[in-house]
Amino acid sequence: MLDDGSPLFQQIARQVSDGVLVGTFPEGTQVPSTTELAALHRINPATVGKGLALLVAEGVLHKRRGLGMFVSEGARARLVERRRGELTATYVRPLVAEARSLGLGADDVVALVAQELRDDAPTTSEGAR
Amino acid sequence: MTTTDPAVSVRGVGRRLGGVQALQDVSFDLPAGAVCGLLGRNGAGKTTLMAVVAGHDRPDAGEVAVHGERPFENPAAAGLVSMVRDDQRYPDDFHLAHLLRVGPLFHAGWDAQLAEEVVDVFRIPAKPQLRKLSRGQSSAVGILVGLASRAPVTVLDEPTLGLDAPSRQAFADLLVRDLAARPRTVLVATHLADELEGLLDRVLVLDGGRLVRDAALEDLQGSASVVLGPVEAVERATADVGVLASRRVGGFLERVVEEPGGSARAAEDPALQVRRAGLQELVAALGAGPGPAATPRPDRLTEVSR
Amino acid sequence: MSAVLPSSSPRALGPARRSGASPSPVLAVLRLQAVKRFETWATPLVVLLLGLVFTVLLVLVVWRATGEGPGSPTLAEVGRGTQVAVPWLVGYLVYNGVQSVGTTFPLALALGTARRAFAVGTLLHHARVAAWVAVAVLAVRGVEVVTGGWWAGLHLLGGAALGGGDPVRLVVTVLLASLVAMSVGGAFAAVWLRGGARAAGAAGAALGLLVGAAALVLVAAAPDLAGAFRVWWLAVAAVVVTAAGAAVQVVALRGASVR
Repeated sequence: MLDDGSPLFQQIARQVSDGVLVGTFPEGTQVPSTTELAALHRINPATVGKGLALLVAEGVLHKRRGLGMFVSEGARARLVERRRGELTATYVRPLVAEARSLGLGADDVVALVAQELRDDAPTTSEGAR
Repeated sequence: MTTTDPAVSVRGVGRRLGGVQALQDVSFDLPAGAVCGLLGRNGAGKTTLMAVVAGHDRPDAGEVAVHGERPFENPAAAGLVSMVRDDQRYPDDFHLAHLLRVGPLFHAGWDAQLAEEVVDVFRIPAKPQLRKLSRGQSSAVGILVGLASRAPVTVLDEPTLGLDAPSRQAFADLLVRDLAARPRTVLVATHLADELEGLLDRVLVLDGGRLVRDAALEDLQGSASVVLGPVEAVERATADVGVLASRRVGGFLERVVEEPGGSARAAEDPALQVRRAGLQELVAALGAGPGPAATPRPDRLTEVSR
Repeated sequence: MSAVLPSSSPRALGPARRSGASPSPVLAVLRLQAVKRFETWATPLVVLLLGLVFTVLLVLVVWRATGEGPGSPTLAEVGRGTQVAVPWLVGYLVYNGVQSVGTTFPLALALGTARRAFAVGTLLHHARVAAWVAVAVLAVRGVEVVTGGWWAGLHLLGGAALGGGDPVRLVVTVLLASLVAMSVGGAFAAVWLRGGARAAGAAGAALGLLVGAAALVLVAAAPDLAGAFRVWWLAVAAVVVTAAGAAVQVVALRGASVR
């Protein structure tokens, strides 16, 4: 199942918005129904509904009566904006804390990140080819 | 009547059984459509509470209402609740086929197709008498009645007790699918809190006959953390916060602390591990008293959060 | 009885809500009680026939022992006098009465029914089983008469205790005996559900003392009574016991809980 300790409805919202970010659910297309997501993860449909409602409130999804939930125009840009704001708290701060306990300096951390970016670059272009 | 009326309303309910206060001043509401986990140790009062909600038993004190109807000895409430006990008794020579035949007589909404599906999924045997089924098969029969009855309030007493792993997953699949198709209110007692966690949206925790927690699942999930580390460091970091449970192994101390705030100081100490408490851990911490009903523990967190 | 009709006001959660109650709770209980069709309707006949076969076997034994053949007064007397069939049947009906309450009540609660509906449906069930058994015994007696006592002058259902060949007295006797059996069985089970094994034991002990005390009184008055005795006294006693059993069931079940 999903699991990072946060409430399930948030995890559902997170998972669907991940799908929007990486292009699984392009803007304008339909996302899986509440029933499908509930059955897939074996969680309460009401909880799924709550997660999707969260995304509606954030302007990522919108509801079309009788059809289901669709990805809104500009949803991806909004998500990128929001996630960028969370980047520091979610990733950078723990990275720095860990680096500190390992006794690494600022230069070492920057070098590590730069290395990772370099290693990752060809893979990405290969994948795109 | 509006949609905000609770499906189940319990007010100050008490029940004494055999000289033990099985329930004491229990109050809560279940909104219509809620799937509520009833958690607590053996003897905490779970089955007694469910029997009272289902009208199988009458409380000594307090009021119970199911969709506005008193469940005990009230014809108007007869089909509103469905509850098969984990130790359900059946007549002699009573077989699965008999049950499938009488179910629809008592529940106008009985879904015969769903009943057949439950039989297939859990491989409930037709041949033996129901009272001679194994523990797991017996649980499956309870699930059958609970789901197929389509009762507006469905009470499930340890539905996965004795079920094998595939059957437990099948139960979750069936329940999720059915909830999506036909929303209803479910009260489910279980010792496997983590396994059913995803299905729940509310949680009631009983300890010694008292309700020690009544919370939305997401509130409960964030309501405690586990701090682990050297005894002194943990004691220092959790000195003035609410501690639900402690466990000491050698020089190490593990404490379940109340959030928000419980783990704030600990998080700053690199010597300490901090993680969110799982539902099972939280329930264990809340109901960690040594004995059953006889000893209510006022020193423990008995406050009911709303 | 207070208002029992469900209010018709529409409520939350739409159709799921009112799908609850069964249209006729008493009818549902009646059908629940007879869902084991064979056990309900056929087994009493099987028990009856086994009792008759047992008697026939006994007759055969006597035949072998005495050498007196079919049609002899001795064999006819053995057949008439060995009345095990109906007592066996009554014994089975006591068990039936216990089952119809003891284990059926918890199931009925699980399925969702009110205690009053259960008690009423179960009493009606006892009445119809008693009627069925009485009719069945009468039919078997009919065969017995038509075949001239099973082609052997054996009137197994024509004994004095069963009316001495009078069909009306036979039916009334079997009907009342069956009613008493199921009613007493049901009453004991209801007391057991209400107050546990101890209460049922106490009730049994109380009943025993009552019967004992009555017997003492009757024995003291025996000479006077014997002269005045009329068979209808027994019928009245049976009706009283049945009514008392029914009352005990209703009262005990009203407060019975499964917990």
